[in-house]
Amino acid sequence: MSRHHDDWTHGEPRLVLGVCDDCENRWYLPRDHCPRCGSGRSSSRQSSGDGLCVAVTRSHVTGEVGGAPLSLALVQLDEGPVVMGRVRDELVPGDRARVEFVPDGTGTALVPSFSRRALT
Amino acid sequence: MAVSAFLTGVGLTPFGRLPGRDSQDWQCAAAQIALDDAGLDPLRIGAVIAGYSTVSGHLMPANVVAERLGVRPEVAFGMSVGGATGLAMVAQAASLVASATAEHVLVVAGENRASGQSSTTSTKILAQVGHAHYEVPLGGTVPAYYALLASRYLWSHGLDDAALAPLPVQMREHAVATVGAHFRQPITVADVLSSRPVAEPLRLLDCCPVSDGGAAFVVSRAPTSERSLSIVGVGQGHRHQHLSALDPEDTGAARAAGAALRQAGLDLAEVDVFGIYDSFSITVAMIMEELGLAPPGRAGAYARAGAFQADGRHPLNTHGGLLSYGHSGVAGGMAHLAEVAGQLRGERGAAQVSDCEVGYVHADGGVLSAHVGVVLRKGSQP
Ligand SMILES: [Zn+2]
Repeated sequence: MSRHHDDWTHGEPRLVLGVCDDCENRWYLPRDHCPRCGSGRSSSRQSSGDGLCVAVTRSHVTGEVGGAPLSLALVQLDEGPVVMGRVRDELVPGDRARVEFVPDGTGTALVPSFSRRALT
Repeated sequence: MAVSAFLTGVGLTPFGRLPGRDSQDWQCAAAQIALDDAGLDPLRIGAVIAGYSTVSGHLMPANVVAERLGVRPEVAFGMSVGGATGLAMVAQAASLVASATAEHVLVVAGENRASGQSSTTSTKILAQVGHAHYEVPLGGTVPAYYALLASRYLWSHGLDDAALAPLPVQMREHAVATVGAHFRQPITVADVLSSRPVAEPLRLLDCCPVSDGGAAFVVSRAPTSERSLSIVGVGQGHRHQHLSALDPEDTGAARAAGAALRQAGLDLAEVDVFGIYDSFSITVAMIMEELGLAPPGRAGAYARAGAFQADGRHPLNTHGGLLSYGHSGVAGGMAHLAEVAGQLRGERGAAQVSDCEVGYVHADGGVLSAHVGVVLRKGSQP
């Protein structure tokens, strides 16, 4: 069963994870079956949006003529899965990061954007 | 183990910015070289497998090229597995001859990606290997996806931005001596580090160029000459499509290599020459390390120490790889196999690896998404 896409890709400002009902494996991109145990039974769970930044790039190629450089990051969420997002302000691998949703990107109103988050 | 497939024909054109030919022109040029090399008339070909061209975008690439070459095969189909397509076609060809579906299979690809397409269009088409809803709308492109892999690699191994630079320098050193390579001017680590940033930490010289060119092979059920080589193992790994779902500890590279070597009944230590996909400096570093050919985080240091030279510990991409021979789409990943074949045939002159008996070729498509490994062996005793 595919999960309901009521997340940022459909205008809702949140990251939604899939959780396997049988083995509790978690994933980010939509999947019809758990890649670990093969189960077709899964549920959706909203992510806290907090995690560890594991990669950042400042990209000067955008696929658009004259497109301005942009920064992307990979953040490993505290729930486990890795999410790609834009970067707000300064962020380097190893930083704690938190997601916000901002109007940006090339085709959607809101995109996930990560910024540095002080340890609390 | 009885060998059931042979590489009997190899065709590789020069790569570069070489206007004047379209995709089919490049494919037919390469196919003709491969047919001549195998000593076969086109009518002897029983199956044609053709790789996609991003420029022509034809729905039936194998039929188009077959008609033009005067081949009337019993089996014809196109394939698309990104950069792994060339080796995936060879794997499929090997199984077609092993099952006696065809005596001879023509595998072909080529396109005018450099002169027939703007770089913006290229970037946009290739970016589609990313997730259409979760990655591409963020501004994802292939260089950016690999830059994220590079950033994670450098950070997790505590390396600085210079760590990967010896890899493109080594590839260029190989290409300097290779007729037909896209780039033949020597470069240094300083040149790599001062080249313009493409997607940081990757700079222009960390990235393969976009080239025009073609490549083709004939795979046969029996040798056609003493120069025929044995295809002794093929293996694949397909663990994810998108970067967000990639496991950096297990991309599928080692699984593909392991399956190919198991089929060949060989150990990695018995391989004399390597052709490993190098779309970016980080690509070849991650694959080499996952295969166990360099310790984690050390591929660049190995390159700097000369381990990948023709007389080094693991001779690698001795034609210059995608980084310097060039990248003409599917044909780009086939050039590695053409080079390894040249080495096993002992025909590489000054670049010849000595005592070359076994070769391993590896290609990846997408974002280290699709992996195909092929083991070739000198000699053609069925
Ligand atoms: Zn499960």
